[in-house]
Amino acid sequence: MGHLSQSGVTDMRDDRKDEMGRRHFFRALGGGSVAAAAAITAQPMIATPAQAYDPGTEETKARYRESDHVKAFYRTNGYETLKKN
Amino acid sequence: MARMKFLCDADRCIECNACVTACKNEHEVPWGINRRRVVTLNDGKPGERSVSMACMHCTDAPCAAVCPVNCFYTTADAVVLHSKDICIGCGYCFYACPFGAPQYPKVGNFGSRGKMDKCTYCAGGPEPDLSTIEYEKYGSNRLAEGKLPLCAEMCSTKALLAGDGEMIAEIYKQRVIKRGYGSGAWGWKTAYRETVAI
Repeated sequence: MGHLSQSGVTDMRDDRKDEMGRRHFFRALGGGSVAAAAAITAQPMIATPAQAYDPGTEETKARYRESDHVKAFYRTNGYETLKKN
Repeated sequence: MARMKFLCDADRCIECNACVTACKNEHEVPWGINRRRVVTLNDGKPGERSVSMACMHCTDAPCAAVCPVNCFYTTADAVVLHSKDICIGCGYCFYACPFGAPQYPKVGNFGSRGKMDKCTYCAGGPEPDLSTIEYEKYGSNRLAEGKLPLCAEMCSTKALLAGDGEMIAEIYKQRVIKRGYGSGAWGWKTAYRETVAI
């Protein structure tokens, strides 16, 4: 806590001193580990170059096949015309 | 190799929106998104035309050209798909697409867009075929089941054609040869005679 000075105003210097102490505490507590974590996370970002999405052959393979279901669709859609050919 | 195409016979489409409903139901498309919609020209006037529109699965897709993360890919069936794992929801594809196919679910506040959603030609996504995760992200994979997009299969007037591009082009060609001028629909000439400008 700050002390009353001669003018009756609270002296903030003591507060500042306390705050610095708190900050030092956290810096000492986590500073080392944060720096290590930052080094670990930064490493892959540097090592991995940007790549476009490249789906494999399984994703891009043809799925269409002329099943009986599909043949029925063609037949019913062309029933006016195609059956005469 | 067959190339998958949609073809809407505008002379047959009656704007029933069954294709839109079927699509939403089949894929459990979220609120606010239509992977397919019906556009009507000259609504209520003689000679009005309706066209069912969705992703046209372009050969040189503009959405893929502008995507900053390259989440689009084209399958061997010429179906344009995308990976929702890669998509960042930037919205570029929405502006690039001439058909307004890619849309964004409004899942959050302040313009957050989530992942882009578009017609998959009922062909799912990059996840394993017919898996639960594929269904949750992209809807059903009817192509892997040996079927065609439900919107086309549901069409009551056989206006919306889907499948092998050469096959449906032949079906449409034969229709046009048979019906000649006008829609070929019963009562068309009685209603509109020969004066309707199409």
